[in-house]
Amino acid sequence: METMLTVEGLGKSFKDKRIISNISFEVKKGEIMALLGPNGAGKSTTIRNIMGIMYPDEGSITFHNSAGKEIPRNKIGYLPEERGLYKNVKVMDILLYLAELKDYPLDRAKERALDYLKKFGLEGKDKVSVEELSKGMGQKVQFIAAILHEPELLILDEPFSGLDPVSQELFKEEIRSLAANGTAILLSSHQMNLVEEMADRLFLIHRGTRVIYGPISDVKKEYANFKCTINGANSLALLESLPEVERVEQTGDAAVLYLSKDIQPAVWLRNLPAALDIQELSIDRISLHEIFIDIATDKNLLKEASELHA
Amino acid sequence: MRNTMKVARWEIRRNLKNKSFIIGMFLTPIIFLAFFFVPQLFSSDDEAATTTVYVNDGLGVYEQLEAAAANTDWQMEPTEITESEAEAALGEAEDTAYVFVTEESVETGKVTVYTNEDTDSAFMDEVQVLSAPLQMVQIEQLGLTPEEAGVVAQGIVFEDASVETEEGGLFAENMLERVIPGAFAAVVMLSIVFTGMAIFTSASQEKKDKIAEIILSSLTPSDLMQGKIIGYFILGIIQVVVFLVIALPVLIWQIDFPVLEYLLVPELLVLLFIAVLGYLLYAALFVGIGATMADVSTAGNFQGLVMMLPFSPFLFIGPVISDPNGFIAQLGSYIPFTSPGVLILRLSLLEEWPWLEIIIAIAILAVSVWVFMKLAGKVFKTGILMYGKNATPGEIWKWIRA
Repeated sequence: METMLTVEGLGKSFKDKRIISNISFEVKKGEIMALLGPNGAGKSTTIRNIMGIMYPDEGSITFHNSAGKEIPRNKIGYLPEERGLYKNVKVMDILLYLAELKDYPLDRAKERALDYLKKFGLEGKDKVSVEELSKGMGQKVQFIAAILHEPELLILDEPFSGLDPVSQELFKEEIRSLAANGTAILLSSHQMNLVEEMADRLFLIHRGTRVIYGPISDVKKEYANFKCTINGANSLALLESLPEVERVEQTGDAAVLYLSKDIQPAVWLRNLPAALDIQELSIDRISLHEIFIDIATDKNLLKEASELHA
Repeated sequence: MRNTMKVARWEIRRNLKNKSFIIGMFLTPIIFLAFFFVPQLFSSDDEAATTTVYVNDGLGVYEQLEAAAANTDWQMEPTEITESEAEAALGEAEDTAYVFVTEESVETGKVTVYTNEDTDSAFMDEVQVLSAPLQMVQIEQLGLTPEEAGVVAQGIVFEDASVETEEGGLFAENMLERVIPGAFAAVVMLSIVFTGMAIFTSASQEKKDKIAEIILSSLTPSDLMQGKIIGYFILGIIQVVVFLVIALPVLIWQIDFPVLEYLLVPELLVLLFIAVLGYLLYAALFVGIGATMADVSTAGNFQGLVMMLPFSPFLFIGPVISDPNGFIAQLGSYIPFTSPGVLILRLSLLEEWPWLEIIIAIAILAVSVWVFMKLAGKVFKTGILMYGKNATPGEIWKWIRA
């Protein structure tokens, strides 16, 4: 796949505070690349640096489809985290203005705008003033504005925040179909479950540095080990002495046992000692969501492993 | 530059579709005309009153009296009524006076005039013009030759021969040659500066609506800033054109001097150039300050102070009018924020333009425009993306130095 955007060694500080450091990743044509991280991890800062809204202190950003150093603004679609539109302006006027700024032919922009408004259930809203729209409607209009000019690279900062489940599905579907048509998509989010479903690759960022970077399937294989939850009066020592247990989290009678990578659940279960008090037992894979929480809350379960993977 | 023009066009279209802008645009000239003409309507009411003057002529000098009163607004009628009848008639009459010229008047030098409260208040001053023909009669009766009589009757007049030969006040004919272009330039400047104040709202609104980031993903901050400045400049000019189209025909029709002839002189170009420089300076201020504010209603003292700068020339109006070449006038010409207003005012008053001073002042102004545009650019670039928070002077200083 053709690489559209390369970010290398990006770093940025405000005053003495380091916001991001040594961020490197690529976005390829036709893929959905997710930039993940808890609030304040540095996702928006990274994106703003890519968009040329901020200037990085170090590192480089390369757009492969453009000659020269200039950011090819006309080929990029951008949905910022901070949402807003001119208030006392008609929906179509603002869409056409934003398309005009991208040098996109206006007649086509108008046609596409009407199509998209219809697709997002905003048919007939083109002559309505922006201030009359609900928040969700406004967000849809902004999304349309970001993709109206058929960008080669689409950067979406938290596209799903504040959307109801129906609209979320609509957005997801549209993002997927854009990627299928060859658009390179960089998507930032803190909603792991959404990303898990749709992203091809992910870059997990925490406190401005990389934690995980790779294809989702690899990440799952690599990190999403089995975990076993046991309810029962067992001592920590006993639980830790069980085979293939990497780590135990115990609260009261409930204990979560994180199992090592290559276990066979059936075999492992069969080998549990009879002394174990089991009131309830469940076994399942660690979800990306848990990995995310784990990192965000500094439990660092995966830290060593990710370093290995890197 | 193309992006700049796109932004400018957008700002123009957006405002022209805005009802309050349109209403304001047409209301301004109408209010101006109203202020100009309403007082005139009231004053012309007074002038329309003509006093009817009945003269009981016991000397046969009615014709001379009529000639002497040629310049007054009187309606003169000869009459034969007696003094007592006159008193009765005055009871009902409006703005009427009775003048009794008799032999006795010539002997005593006193003429009896009957008026009532409706008679024009200025009448008793005006009626003195009738004294000359009566004096002639007096002198003739003394037996002087007509030549001698003529000399005596002429009396003594104190003639004003001061050195201020032609400066007959602000609205003397030759003064208008300079005042009209100056006033026009002032109107242009005020109009674009006032419209330019909307730049400030536009910038802070963009911040409040959080759209700046979307716009800036398509163009650079300087494109956006220049686009706004040019857009509002053109809006200001549109306002001036509307103003002229409405007000100028009415002014030409109502005032009988050749306004256009006085207006279209080469000096106008210099004045307009100064006005445009003034606009650019204030526009840089507005756009920079607008970008530092989260909301118009939360303007701090600092921002408020800067917003007042375009009004600073008003401080100089008094001193400049009393002495257009004085120290204060010169000082005002060299301070960038006051210089557009002060220069336009001075050049409207001065017969001889101090070209050296003008060139120095324009140079200072031009350099200031350049410097403030640069500063505004820096402030704008950072400020426009700082959502939901006013910038402190300290922060602004830091952005400028960055």
